Amino acid sequence: MQGNGLKVFLTAFFLVMSGYYLYPSVQGYFIDKKMDSLTGEELAAYQADNAAKIRTVNEESLKLGLDLLGGMHVTLEIRVDALIQELATDQDETFEAVLAEARDASFDSDVSVIDAFVSSFEARDPNARLSRHFRNEAAGVTRRSTNDEVAAYLRTEADEAVNRAIEIIRDRVDRYGVTEPAIQRQGSRRVIVELPGIEDPDRVRGLLRGTARLEFRLMADPADLVRSLQRVIEYYEVAPDSADSGEDAAAADTTFDVNDLLDNVDGASTNTLLDVFQPIGQSVTFGAVTAADTAAVNDLLFVPEVRALLPRDVKLMYTASPVGTTANGEELFYLIGVLSQTELTGDVITDARVEFDQFTNVPEVSMTMNSEGSRTWARLTGANVGRNVAVVLDGVVYSYPTIQQQINGGRTNITNLDSREEASDIVTVLKSGALPAPVEIVEERTVGPSLGARSINNGLNSVMLGLVLVALFMIFYYRTGGMVADMALILNLLFVLGILAGFNATLTLPGIAGIVLTIGMAVDANVLIFERIREEQSTGKTLKAAVDGGYSKALSAIFDANITTFFVGVILYSFGLGPIQGFAVTLMAGILSSMFTAIVFTRIIFDYMISERRMTVSYG
Amino acid sequence: MRIFENTNFAFTESRNVGYIISGTLIVLSLLSLTFNGLELGIDFRGGMEFVVELDEPHTATEVRSALADVLVQAPEVKTYGVENNALIIRAAETGNMREVQTQIVEGLTAAFGASNPQIVKTDIVGPRFAQDLQEGAIYSILGSLLVIFVYILIRFEWRFSVGAVAALFHDVIITLGMFSALRFIVPFSLQVDQTIIAAFLTIVGYSLNDTVVVFDRIREYTGIFKSEKYDVVVNRSINNTLSRTVITSGTTLLVVAILFIFGGEVLRGFAFALLIGIVIGTYSSIFVASPVVLALRQRT
Repeated sequence: MQGNGLKVFLTAFFLVMSGYYLYPSVQGYFIDKKMDSLTGEELAAYQADNAAKIRTVNEESLKLGLDLLGGMHVTLEIRVDALIQELATDQDETFEAVLAEARDASFDSDVSVIDAFVSSFEARDPNARLSRHFRNEAAGVTRRSTNDEVAAYLRTEADEAVNRAIEIIRDRVDRYGVTEPAIQRQGSRRVIVELPGIEDPDRVRGLLRGTARLEFRLMADPADLVRSLQRVIEYYEVAPDSADSGEDAAAADTTFDVNDLLDNVDGASTNTLLDVFQPIGQSVTFGAVTAADTAAVNDLLFVPEVRALLPRDVKLMYTASPVGTTANGEELFYLIGVLSQTELTGDVITDARVEFDQFTNVPEVSMTMNSEGSRTWARLTGANVGRNVAVVLDGVVYSYPTIQQQINGGRTNITNLDSREEASDIVTVLKSGALPAPVEIVEERTVGPSLGARSINNGLNSVMLGLVLVALFMIFYYRTGGMVADMALILNLLFVLGILAGFNATLTLPGIAGIVLTIGMAVDANVLIFERIREEQSTGKTLKAAVDGGYSKALSAIFDANITTFFVGVILYSFGLGPIQGFAVTLMAGILSSMFTAIVFTRIIFDYMISERRMTVSYG
Repeated sequence: MRIFENTNFAFTESRNVGYIISGTLIVLSLLSLTFNGLELGIDFRGGMEFVVELDEPHTATEVRSALADVLVQAPEVKTYGVENNALIIRAAETGNMREVQTQIVEGLTAAFGASNPQIVKTDIVGPRFAQDLQEGAIYSILGSLLVIFVYILIRFEWRFSVGAVAALFHDVIITLGMFSALRFIVPFSLQVDQTIIAAFLTIVGYSLNDTVVVFDRIREYTGIFKSEKYDVVVNRSINNTLSRTVITSGTTLLVVAILFIFGGEVLRGFAFALLIGIVIGTYSSIFVASPVVLALRQRT
């Protein structure tokens, strides 16, 4: 036993550490069990009494992945192209063309939007200065800033935008009330959001993606709008086969009548736009579109050629909620003409809350502005009495009421909301603040709680069955040696879980698969040793000498074989995502701990049995 | 009990048999990969995947035709496992993911409302993200092979590096080939996704584990039996480690088989890859890795 002091100490140390890190998980198990047995008031009382304890236990327990717990995993990507546009103080056609090029380039290959933007800008005209478009004295970009300096400024801004976005998303998630959300940055422009136990993925999606950009805009001039509508429809007029439709188009030149055009498409359709779009052209309403056709209409209307047919200062936007239904019961949305210039933005909002209309009891969001906002708002409403003002949130028009009189005191509200949830979500995003740039959901995975529970069950069954069968085989094949190896195997499992808990790693379904695999592979080191001991014994050595020889000779094979698998684990961890990382972690933990238990722990036992107790150990 | 104790199989002499078997399998795998192809999962292809559970059984065709009415593009529908009448619905990635999702949910409720359809799993992967995942997968496989090559180079010598990496390529190609050849035959999904890549890398690790044990013995015996011919040394090394090779493969196969049977639908493809990989990996450490080392040694 002398000389084994360090080995015994290490084993005891690891055992204590594993116990320490796994203790909260065990506690958590019993608390859950207890809470399951309680109902109603008893449960509430128990939770109230033990709130602090439950919280600590939950925080320190071995964490389960969303694939086991059920929940939602979302990867968001910050739209850097939109951010560049935002930062540009001077946007002309060249700028827009270069930005479009950069957007395409970054989508096709693996270059960042900023790099693509700078290089395509310089390719166009090597002497052109980026500073022309991004001049911003406050941020230190002057007329004399070099292109490199401007690029560096854009990169810093993009980097900060991601960090700010994370803060804002965290705030929104907290306000929404998710227990133990995990939000982390991934790479240069992505954010991973993990939300356990989400029941309404749709609502969460809106909450995460909403930039919360609130704008107040004046409306397009109705006469201008009608004229452009006419030009746009003509643009999509398919070259007429019959003289008939040609005449109609000509007639429409002088007096515009929607019905003329609609009549026109009653028969064989001759206009690609009118297939999916109902022109209206009354007041500020450009036309109506069903929800299903929006994508098709966007492809037709939001292209540069059509853009050129609209007044320069006008933008088309959809209404947030349906304005009616078609004969088939499909929801219709209006396209509304608003001015591209924003009169007032959400920055001035200091407070927002859900209120109910005193007559109709319909929910609405009421907002208060700061003094600067109040002044602008008063001036704006005062100068435009009788005209409409559009309340735009994240690019869709919520309402466009007619201004009855000048509004003082900086009060306003968002109406036309579908539900109380929508109102409270808007309050949440307004209070958390606007995202620095729009975000896009590039990956979304949800697992229902029932599937997660079943996965846990399947995983546990596999672990137990694997453990029992492998353990029985080892005893059958290696006798006493096998029994010791089985002790090592159980210790190994404990260590692996301890390592996972200690390093705050997450146990996923592939992670459980990794544990099952570890059970099969962990005995390998002992198999190698026992086979060596048998070989040594067959050369006629004493038991003690054979054990010594077996351990020392097997060591290099065990070491080389395990370290390469460990490397594979490291690589998997660095390139894999989520659940795969969980697998990599258990694989690595399994390798480290099985090397320790198979080489160090079993040796202690054998030394004790052979040297201290003079026992005869059979290796089968 | 002892199996394969003191065996003396003529592995090195009959290595041509191994070459023929491996060669045939590789050619067949490459043919299958060329003509049958692999089915990429949405991780690498992008798109949407929903697992729906229903109270009453409904066939995939039924669900498909019900959804074909509401969606622009008819989705792919397959049964998903045996429990809970689950079906998997795959739709191509389009501009508006949220809309397609809503349409699927509404379409299912309209057609099978009585069976209480419930979406228990959703995976939506954007095209750009899928591309990044693909790159990650390729980097991790190449990275692993490189690291392994270098490590063996440091610990052994270059011939062993070549032997080990040749065996790994062999294993991965044949496992991929099996995935391709069996994809229309087996009753579960053999889509290649992130989990399958993890399985491949585990196979790489496992096969290497086996190979290194044999190499270690060759290294040891080369020092001891200096007067003997190299092929005899190699053959003895393989024979003397055979018992260990078989036992470890046995216990590992056992647990993987358990995972395959009891691990649930989510892990089935993963466990299947491991099942094939472990068999092939064990075979290759005997019949590919060591013979390659031997061949290189005899040539120089």
